[in-house]
Amino acid sequence: MSPGSGARDGPREDEFRRLYAAHFDAVLGFALRRVDRPEDAADITADTFLVAWRRLAHVPAEPEARPWLYGVARRVLANQRRGEGRRSALGDRLRRELATVAPDPSADVVQRADVTAAMRRLSGRDQEVLELHLWEGLEPREIAEVLGLSTVVVRPRLSRARARLRALLPDGPEPPGNGPEPPRNGPATAGHLPSTPQLTRKER
Amino acid sequence: MDPTISDDAVGRLPIASGRAELLEEIMSTPVTDRPTAPAATPRGRTTWLVPLAAAAAVAAVATGPLWWPSGDGSTPGPGDGPAAQGSPTAGSGSGSEPQAPADDATYRAVLDMPGWTVTHVYEEAGGNGGEISYERGEALLEVTWRPGSLHDDYVEDRRHIVDPPADGAPLQVLGLTAQRWSYSADDHTVIRPVEDGFTLEVRGSGMPLSGFEDLLDDLRLVDEAGLENALPDTFVTTSERDAVVEEMLDGIAAASGQERVAGEERPAITSEQADRYHLGAEVAGQVACAWIEEFRAARQAGDEERAQEAVDVLASSRQWPVLREMDARGDYPEAIWDYADEVARGEVPEGFRGGLGC
Repeated sequence: MSPGSGARDGPREDEFRRLYAAHFDAVLGFALRRVDRPEDAADITADTFLVAWRRLAHVPAEPEARPWLYGVARRVLANQRRGEGRRSALGDRLRRELATVAPDPSADVVQRADVTAAMRRLSGRDQEVLELHLWEGLEPREIAEVLGLSTVVVRPRLSRARARLRALLPDGPEPPGNGPEPPRNGPATAGHLPSTPQLTRKER
Repeated sequence: MDPTISDDAVGRLPIASGRAELLEEIMSTPVTDRPTAPAATPRGRTTWLVPLAAAAAVAAVATGPLWWPSGDGSTPGPGDGPAAQGSPTAGSGSGSEPQAPADDATYRAVLDMPGWTVTHVYEEAGGNGGEISYERGEALLEVTWRPGSLHDDYVEDRRHIVDPPADGAPLQVLGLTAQRWSYSADDHTVIRPVEDGFTLEVRGSGMPLSGFEDLLDDLRLVDEAGLENALPDTFVTTSERDAVVEEMLDGIAAASGQERVAGEERPAITSEQADRYHLGAEVAGQVACAWIEEFRAARQAGDEERAQEAVDVLASSRQWPVLREMDARGDYPEAIWDYADEVARGEVPEGFRGGLGC
């Protein structure tokens, strides 16, 4: 059972606790990977789960819940960027805690620095689809859900973005490096295995 | 914070108090959607997830074997009416698709502007909408037409682009007052009201608002033939399509070592796609789906010979010319190849229909 679930909680509360427990790290991670200040990720996470709480009946069943949440977080993030740091009414403690956590230099990362640097040189559209694939570990079908596009649009777009990224890496298709294999994000789903391991997430 | 911190590392951050407090804060806020039926199809199915491709083709392929699976007797026999039901071939006109609009309805839109290249076109079967994409350098324009019944859902979704949610700025698009929202300074979308049973959405990225508005003036409403005429020669026209499908099927048969008799497919393998990538996806996808189904049926029946035949045909998919051509543009071939590998390991791939769009 989820911590804190009590007798006063009904099915709705239990359902939300499960959703929160299963996806909090992923939503916060999604936000942290896209903001300059860690505390801003607290606002995005708070507003995303607030939307999920208010519209719980609209949250699709697993395994589609996470792409749905990412889609909400993406919109919240866009709003926050427009609003120049507008703060959520909730999540004060989380904001304070995130403001003081020091990045762990040995923390797992989802990809190497040279790939990240190369991604920054791509168009915003290419970056977004690559981030969802490489950082969140989504397959094209899930990316399509996040972006509100069809799968047949996303597949070639992702493929082109990967090709452009490969072209920007200093050593071509096989980026150098002998570091550890990047850890995996996202739910383990059956999907499409990549052809170029360094530029695509590992699944399963 | 490291921009590429992993979710596992996030889970180790010392933020347990903030995490728990936020949960309680959220759950203490008022709820607005309680009256909604909990098991209702989420609105997101129509607003976040555009309906998957080839819905009609699913019905076409799901009901019977193709020419090469030997079948197990439970499938329709030769006299059971091949290619009759659900086939989206042109001219079917049976009245079984009540919402399919007339071919001369002008609810699609194309861009008349030199310098922009068509990179993608896709239409769902049965008049369920479609899309066409143009690129010029880093700029992209996507035109999507959808059944009018989806208009309100999409508007509601786009209203949340801004905070607080709001109607879009009014803007004239092809003679009607549409609503425009901007995701950012160089990314905009506009939704046009329903006309002739369809609504248009146009999204422009990599351009300022003024450039986006200029491009909207260069859109033109067209019917099915007009759309086809607006496509470059590399796209497949209606008159060419049957021959291209035949060529793709012949290539698959040759690569898999099968001797194909044209027209023996049951039901017919068809597609309405003009883009070779999407056409190839529907053709190869239907073939692959049929063979995976054959593998499953053979395993259930304990027929190792049939199962092995299915394994062999699917294993040959890496040599299917249509997939090798598509490989340069997208990941659809990889999806089939992964499934072929799973079948080779003796597994029926989970969710393969969704993955292949069949």
